Amino acid sequence: MSAPVLGEATIGASGGIRRRSIGPFVNYVFALPALILFLMFVAYPILWVIDESLNPANGAGLSMSAYNAVLADPVFWTALWNMTVWGAITIPVQMAIGGLIAYFIERHTFLLKGFFRTMFFLPVVTSVSVVAIVWVQIYAPYYGVGQEYLKYIGIRMSNSPLGDPHMAIYALIVVNIWQWTGFSMLMYIAGIASLPTEVLDAAKVDGATGWRLGIHVVIPMLAPATRSLLLLGVLGTLQTFPIVQLMTVGGPNHASEVFGTFIFKESFILNDAQKGGALSVIVLVLALALSLIQIFVFGARLAPTKGET
Amino acid sequence: MTAGGVVTALLLSIPAYAETKTVTVWSWFIQSTMNKSIAAFEKEHPDIQVKYVYYNYSPEYITALKAASASGSLPDVIGLQPGSLTQQYRPDLAPLSDKAAASWGASWADKVFPVNRKQMLMGNPQGDSNYYMIPQESQVLCVWYNRKIFEKIGLSVPKTYDDLKAASSALTKAGYIPMFQGASDGWQNENVFLMLANEFSPGIVDKAQAGETPWTAPELVSAMKAWKGLFDDGIFQEGALGAHAYPTGAQLFAQGRVGMIALGSWWMQESKFPPPLSEYVQNMDGFDFFYLPAVPGAPQASPPVGGIDIGYGLTKNGEKNDAAWTFLASLTNGAALQQALNDLNDLPAFDGHSPQGDVSDHVKQMSARFMQDLSKAQNQRFADPKVAEALDNALAGVAAGSLKPEDALATVQKAAASK
Repeated sequence: MSAPVLGEATIGASGGIRRRSIGPFVNYVFALPALILFLMFVAYPILWVIDESLNPANGAGLSMSAYNAVLADPVFWTALWNMTVWGAITIPVQMAIGGLIAYFIERHTFLLKGFFRTMFFLPVVTSVSVVAIVWVQIYAPYYGVGQEYLKYIGIRMSNSPLGDPHMAIYALIVVNIWQWTGFSMLMYIAGIASLPTEVLDAAKVDGATGWRLGIHVVIPMLAPATRSLLLLGVLGTLQTFPIVQLMTVGGPNHASEVFGTFIFKESFILNDAQKGGALSVIVLVLALALSLIQIFVFGARLAPTKGET
Repeated sequence: MTAGGVVTALLLSIPAYAETKTVTVWSWFIQSTMNKSIAAFEKEHPDIQVKYVYYNYSPEYITALKAASASGSLPDVIGLQPGSLTQQYRPDLAPLSDKAAASWGASWADKVFPVNRKQMLMGNPQGDSNYYMIPQESQVLCVWYNRKIFEKIGLSVPKTYDDLKAASSALTKAGYIPMFQGASDGWQNENVFLMLANEFSPGIVDKAQAGETPWTAPELVSAMKAWKGLFDDGIFQEGALGAHAYPTGAQLFAQGRVGMIALGSWWMQESKFPPPLSEYVQNMDGFDFFYLPAVPGAPQASPPVGGIDIGYGLTKNGEKNDAAWTFLASLTNGAALQQALNDLNDLPAFDGHSPQGDVSDHVKQMSARFMQDLSKAQNQRFADPKVAEALDNALAGVAAGSLKPEDALATVQKAAASK
């Protein structure tokens, strides 16, 4: 009889099946495909960008000059402010509207539930190019869709908010909220659908109904979905690019610049790979820091786990 | 057939197969027209097969080029704009002067319109007189107007700025958009500014680009003030700063809802798009063009401004493939070009070509006027993308009222000085 190979099941003295240890090294082998993919498609590009950001085009050796140039550029601070405003408004508003829609669809809509879910989710799956064209038309004074409605209440737009340096970023935020609220709704629908009915019934027996039930029972029980949306919202904010690029190109005069459009301009329009690389690294560090803060504050359990709704 | 016969047949077929050469081409040039050009070329050269990949210009094309350049996998022929895009890929491009001379004779460059020749060399290092791109098509910037609407409300082509203001006011009162400006797009703003700057001093933008005149020169400040005036005087539509020339402006103009729009000779291609076409677009019946009248303080109306619409370069990879130059030569100055001209895609870059086939007399007449003007056109292009970007932001800032003309141009001067 030959010796059992690693991992081969044998019958123990007690008659139960016992699995031999396969050793720590073999465990790591199973992680190898994921590790190789990570190194090729995540780690290597990041290291390449870091290298690019530290090496001037003239080959003058390692230099932090691009980082200094980024920090000295007022456009960087405009973009940082815009990103802060973007996150501070879009994340809570999307959560609040998405949560309310989810609650009313799941708890108060008996017919056409699927229809409403689909309709509110439709903007999420609509091409961003289409969204941009539609909203540019909505915002257009004179010939726009929005103006057609506003004229019935005596309002005449004299400018497009997209062309107003003080309004452009907020006009884009509205579009972003419109497009992504359906995603928040979907996350909350998943949460609400798995709320244990016995807890809700018990709360009702204890006298909690209406807003009281919502605020003290439903919302706390949806905390895992909220935490996930918060993390995704922060990362999504930092990745904002197509809607801004298509609607304002970061203008007028950088007024709606975000990190994505700024990096694109520096790297591809102005062909300054070093500054574009430095900007990318800064955004990467910001994303990492914000994610770590959230993990530290909320714990690692950002997604619903077994037994948690 | 015996086994020997099969082997013989295979051996005979191999040389025929091996003789078919392939040329790879990337560009943002309209796919349907390029297909016609390729078909015409392949008919002339049955031994060459052209594989064309179409990209949207931004961001797809410029990002694809950058990635391919970094990995050494550029195709044989790439679409280029003169100035910064050509210069960015100059290390990847083969000099073309000798190949062009061999194909078209030593004086070939004389047949290229002067403004195009100037742009072909734009940004080359001092002493480098090689051409790294051959232009295919040219353009002349102008103000298009809807002549049917003008006729309907009793307007004539504006000869003075007051005429332009009066026409805009009349169009607005009649429920039309006066002059559509997609001021969200830097390119259309640059084009109008170039018209204005050349009204005050022809060629001044080139002098500023060359460092011979500061960007804060009085003529350029006047042009910037006139730019703001186009918004304040109701010539551009309300909300122009949030609008895009494409697709919004072009669609509204084609539908007959806009009186005027600053575009260029390429607008003629609309009449070759698949039906249904509006009554205005059909044979360009509804449209004609004029040059921007003299704005207050300017000594003259805008001269023609223009240059290369699109050109092509032969990459170092393509240099090893003889068929690649054969295609590039046909595309810029041969049978493949003729197909693009027949589609009214734009004007030729070489003198001596004109659209043929199903083209109305009105279009032929406009095309001839453009060609005549192209020979004396001022340069439209920028050599340094930093300057173009700074000018785009300056124009947007002035239009929005957040920058004074002098301060805005100082930012352009700063960008120019940072080269």
